[in-house]
Amino acid sequence: MGTEEGSKEESVELFCPSEEEIERWMARAFDMAKEALENGEVPVGCLMVYKDEVVGKGRNEVNETKNATRHAEMVALDQVLDWCWQSSLDVKSVCERIALYVTVEPCIMCAAALRLLNIPVIVYGCRNERFGGCGSVLDVSSADLPHTGTQFKCISGHRAEEAVDMLKTFYKQQNPNGEKQNHSA
Amino acid sequence: MKRWKGSPCDVDSWVALPVLSDEQSQDVELVEVYAAPILDKKETSRLVRELNSLCPLSGLQHVKRVRPCSERPHTLEVLMCLVSDVPKMQVVSIDSLLPSGGINCNGLGEPFVVKVPARAPLTRPQFELASQHWPTSFHEDKQVTVALRGELFSHHQKERIHAYMASAVTAAREGGVAGMEAIGAVVVDPKTERIIAVGHDCRRKHPLHHAVMVVIDLVARSQGGGFYGFDSYPACRFTSASSVQTEAQIENGTQPYICTGYDLYVTREPCVMCAMALVHSRIGRVFYGVTSADGALGSKFKIHTQKDLNHRFEVYRGVLSRECEDLHSMDDHIKKDRGE
Ligand SMILES: [Zn+2]
Ligand SMILES: [Zn+2]
Repeated sequence: MGTEEGSKEESVELFCPSEEEIERWMARAFDMAKEALENGEVPVGCLMVYKDEVVGKGRNEVNETKNATRHAEMVALDQVLDWCWQSSLDVKSVCERIALYVTVEPCIMCAAALRLLNIPVIVYGCRNERFGGCGSVLDVSSADLPHTGTQFKCISGHRAEEAVDMLKTFYKQQNPNGEKQNHSA
Repeated sequence: MKRWKGSPCDVDSWVALPVLSDEQSQDVELVEVYAAPILDKKETSRLVRELNSLCPLSGLQHVKRVRPCSERPHTLEVLMCLVSDVPKMQVVSIDSLLPSGGINCNGLGEPFVVKVPARAPLTRPQFELASQHWPTSFHEDKQVTVALRGELFSHHQKERIHAYMASAVTAAREGGVAGMEAIGAVVVDPKTERIIAVGHDCRRKHPLHHAVMVVIDLVARSQGGGFYGFDSYPACRFTSASSVQTEAQIENGTQPYICTGYDLYVTREPCVMCAMALVHSRIGRVFYGVTSADGALGSKFKIHTQKDLNHRFEVYRGVLSRECEDLHSMDDHIKKDRGE
């Protein structure tokens, strides 16, 4: 499992999920991805955890909304915001204590959104070779972007092969010709 | 939508310049090559033939092998080999540069080092700079040349572009009055010259509702989708697509790539999130007014030219730059009033 250093800020260094937490929450994320695959949906599972509680989870909603930005992470972030507003909690101070668990590396757009909301740490399964924003295509997570929120730390490679296999199965079902589609993370 | 009724000189107040890839906009990189004068002009074609077959200049296919030289007693100079291809030596002679026995060196003078362009020029400015070092061939993209001169768009096209950006500026102002950042965006179908959606920044309500994200959702709504409601902001609006168009798009299989063939006008250069959202939405072209510090369509990244991504698009900056710049100071005033 490879880890990458994100921000050097003290709060980020202190806030990092334990091995046990990673194991547990990633198991949940993989269950979500499997369920999505069984329903013919993009197999990406995504959870946002705050103080041992899931405050946001999402699945890809691009097709039903006709909005190509409705990736699982964006859906989950919306739930986090709603949860903060309903609980009358300050968005920034909650987000600074949230870990994202996702089966596939977030895309460039989602990585930037995570920065804008100051999410400090993400755990992901496999790389996203086509759109990845945490190193695969661009490294938005650690780029020098002083006006785009804060950098975040990435813990990658957890059950990566399994995550890749699910994506492969999905794309085979979607597109027997192997033509690329834009529905992924 | 109301047609723009400005005076004709308005469109002369700005120039739309293309935002090109790094490869197209970088300086000319040079590489050192040994050259030698051709003392006997009659030997030229034989020398070039033998050099081409025995000492091909790998990676320098764009560089001409021979150049005329008017200032020196001899009249031609020929490239021998890359400096990096031969071992370092104290005294350089023709024989030490060439593979033994292959080439008859009759007619060649003492070798010397020249710098030649390392890469083929992609634009006319690069070509002109490269040619100052050594004659270089150039496969010109005429559209890029014209665009770099700021002359790509006709007067009619500039009037349309002006009108759309003016709508974005108006929306930006309304957003600013509503307490948002003064940034506006307009999505247009250039085939019908119809405005599909107009929006402004809404990040005080939702931190990710940048103007571009707002108009993308409004375009989705115009096609029967969409997720958010922006009804409380009258300046955020959309025109429903006619059923004919929607059916055509379904048949084309373009959904949910909802912005296929559409142009975006936005007052300020989009951030990374918004720029990638435009890739996912398959935007046709983007026009923006002013750059932004972390901008992803020219400033920090050039996501529209990113090699690994499956969708590229043209980007032009500078449209109504003065009006868009003024929005910036409107933002600063509002922030100052709030004590930020
Ligand atoms: Zn994404
Ligand atoms: Zn943005």
